[in-house]
Amino acid sequence: MSLKFSVRYLLCFLLGFNFLIEAQVTFEAKVSKRRLGLNERLRIDFEMNENGDNFNPPSFSNFQVVSGPQQAVSRSWVNGVQSFSKTYTYFLTPKIKGKVTIGQAVVTIGGEIYKTTPVEIEVTNSVKKPNDPNNVDNILDGNIHLVAEVSKSAPYLNEGITVIYKLYFRNPISVSDVSELESPSYGDFWSHLIKIGRAEINMRGSYKGEPYNEVIWRKAVLYPQKTGKLVLEPLTLNLSLSIPSNRRDLFGRRIMTQTQKTITTGEKVIAVKDLPQNNKPENFSGAVGQFDFDVILNKDLLKASESFQAKIKVKGEGNLKLFNLPTINVPNTLEVYEPEHDEKVKITISGMQGTIEDNYTIVPQFQGKYPIPSIQFSYFDPKSKSYKILKSQDLIVDVFEGPTAVNTNQNSKSITPKTSIPVSDNAFRYIKLESKFESIDKKSFWRSQLFWTLVIFPVFILSLSFLLKRIFYGGNENVIKQKQRRAEQLTKKYLSSAKKHFDDQAQFYEVLERALHNYLKAKLKIETTELSKSKIKNLLHQNSVDKKIALEYVEVIESCERARYSPESLVNMRDDFKNASTLIEKIDRQI
Amino acid sequence: MRKRGKFNIVKKFIFFIIFSVLGMSFCQTTPEFLFNEGNKAYNAADYENAISLYEQTLKMGKHSADVYYNLGNANYRLNKVAESVYYFEKAMLMRPNDKDIITNSTFANNMTIDAIEKIPVSQIDQIRNSIIETFSFDIWTFFTVILLWIFTILFLAYLFFIRARLKRIFFFSSLSILLLFILSFSITYSIDQNEKNKKFAILFSKQTDIWSEPNQQADRLFVLHEGAKMQLLDSLEEWQKIRIANGSEGWIKEASYKKIN
Repeated sequence: MSLKFSVRYLLCFLLGFNFLIEAQVTFEAKVSKRRLGLNERLRIDFEMNENGDNFNPPSFSNFQVVSGPQQAVSRSWVNGVQSFSKTYTYFLTPKIKGKVTIGQAVVTIGGEIYKTTPVEIEVTNSVKKPNDPNNVDNILDGNIHLVAEVSKSAPYLNEGITVIYKLYFRNPISVSDVSELESPSYGDFWSHLIKIGRAEINMRGSYKGEPYNEVIWRKAVLYPQKTGKLVLEPLTLNLSLSIPSNRRDLFGRRIMTQTQKTITTGEKVIAVKDLPQNNKPENFSGAVGQFDFDVILNKDLLKASESFQAKIKVKGEGNLKLFNLPTINVPNTLEVYEPEHDEKVKITISGMQGTIEDNYTIVPQFQGKYPIPSIQFSYFDPKSKSYKILKSQDLIVDVFEGPTAVNTNQNSKSITPKTSIPVSDNAFRYIKLESKFESIDKKSFWRSQLFWTLVIFPVFILSLSFLLKRIFYGGNENVIKQKQRRAEQLTKKYLSSAKKHFDDQAQFYEVLERALHNYLKAKLKIETTELSKSKIKNLLHQNSVDKKIALEYVEVIESCERARYSPESLVNMRDDFKNASTLIEKIDRQI
Repeated sequence: MRKRGKFNIVKKFIFFIIFSVLGMSFCQTTPEFLFNEGNKAYNAADYENAISLYEQTLKMGKHSADVYYNLGNANYRLNKVAESVYYFEKAMLMRPNDKDIITNSTFANNMTIDAIEKIPVSQIDQIRNSIIETFSFDIWTFFTVILLWIFTILFLAYLFFIRARLKRIFFFSSLSILLLFILSFSITYSIDQNEKNKKFAILFSKQTDIWSEPNQQADRLFVLHEGAKMQLLDSLEEWQKIRIANGSEGWIKEASYKKIN
């Protein structure tokens, strides 16, 4: 009572004061209530009667600002008296219980700073029913929700997840129009939006166990491309809603009011796990899901220069579009062309499904057999949380006709196309039917003991025979040889000195005769100084020299004498010289 | 009872003889016999059996170019790339100029994955190789020895004959034989050195990486597949340096390969 009285008193006083002193500046904070439940709202107005600048609200540290500041200015003339008011309004919900103080708000009016007095408010436990159930905000809060449902909040890298955006609302709200304010862009994801034709209202949806009308607004399939915490950007919708108001029409029905409401899903964080590093196959190319793998040849028996196709096919469910197929590895004599890539992938709410294929066209150039080694395909199965390796079968392509790699000159073949019998050179040869065996660890003849004895023995014999010859023929041989050599040298010398005397006939023949004598002495090993012509003949004969040559030899000597003693006779020195040298040669060969 | 016991002993004795004779006949497996059995198996398309029969001859310590060739064929029929290439190479080593071996070896090489282009051989090397390859190594060695003997005999004749004409003939002929001997000897020697320095092997691993250095920080240079022929160079711990026909070199680790020579 006393409080009421004092308030009234204060009010009277203030009014009176106001009346008395015109244009008194006021700036005050008015709250809708001083006592409220935790789930209730508080309205606070900062009101001034002069236009002010630099409005600074207090920090509503223990409150959450639901809306505001809303500015309202009113100006009125009543009986020639002008009244002005400017109000900043906030709607707050308390965060904590107990006595809470709202601090001072500051404004500058006419160059002076004004402050409100702090307001103390008591926050009690939540009240069962929020005050004023027909308040628009309260109706909205309880009865409309926008939710992003993520199928998996901690997927593996490249594991598909789906996000479904659902709008829930229930009586008494009805939605008349929806527009998208903010769409998520899914930055770190490979994303695909699944088209939804018309938004249909499912009357039997439920939200947190309560019946709601459910509208699926959007579906998206996402494949995270990064590990770590990825943020899903919020979807924000602007809704036009019809809400029953407190007023009723003539027939007692409630009048619907239209309001706008912005509703958002808020940010969602998805923690993407990296694929396990241990046991990671070497040729892992990032496939995550469940797959089948196959390599298919369209034919495995063909002629050279025909072509065949090898199809590498992966079928299943997973990030089909996001990895590369393993490449084919074929023998070098096969010509392989760039593969054709073919995708038959459907993207549904459960992710990508279908097949991807690489089609290789391969042309063998030569006949023969070509093994196509098995190809490995590995993927990560997020269900069993393990890597799986699939291997294709070993395949064989048999090329039965065509040139072989041996015969590279194909021109010669094309010239003679008439031969009906195939050239046997080109065929794979049959095995050998006979064989001579030898030991594997047979030591090679080279550097074997036998080899060395066979090499050293002749060398030994050679050196031995040299020694033997020296011992048996000994000095004898040597002396004879030396004399012979000297004689030969002398002959050469004499003959060459005779050559010098072509201008002096007498001297020439003297020298020539001496040379011939010396030669014979040396050749026939005669020590005596005297050599008659008959003796020469005999000696030559004994040494198995032709009679004719012996005669000629003697004749030459005779002609030499003749020329020496009868210098006037006509002689040909050059012919005689030639004769002598040829004779010496001949005798030399025969002895 | 007693009689019966005696009969038993006789019976045992007879059995013993029969079985020992049979056993003897089984023991008398010569490589030729196994080879023929292998050929029969091959002809009946029982290639695995043929391979095991042929390999038994090798286990007996006997070999021949023909056995290696047939082994290559049988392995080719079973699509075993590395084995078939390996055996053809072995056969080629023993008999370099056999047309059958060359033909089928190219068939086997067709199956290998890697296309390795050979470095072109210079003309001089080609001539040299063709001379060297006309005969096998053993025949060259044999030639060397024979030529040395001929030279010795001729030279002895030169020494001990007195008649000048014969002496001259022997001298020059022995000299020319000596030249031939030197040529033959140098060829034999060079073949021997080549064989000692050039160790070849066939890769048996399905696929192996070739690294630039013998450690884990090295770069991967290229990849070889089974059936590739490589020359073995240095080795360091478990690493082996190799060179392939196009001249590239690198190191391999933990690869299985089989030496040809």
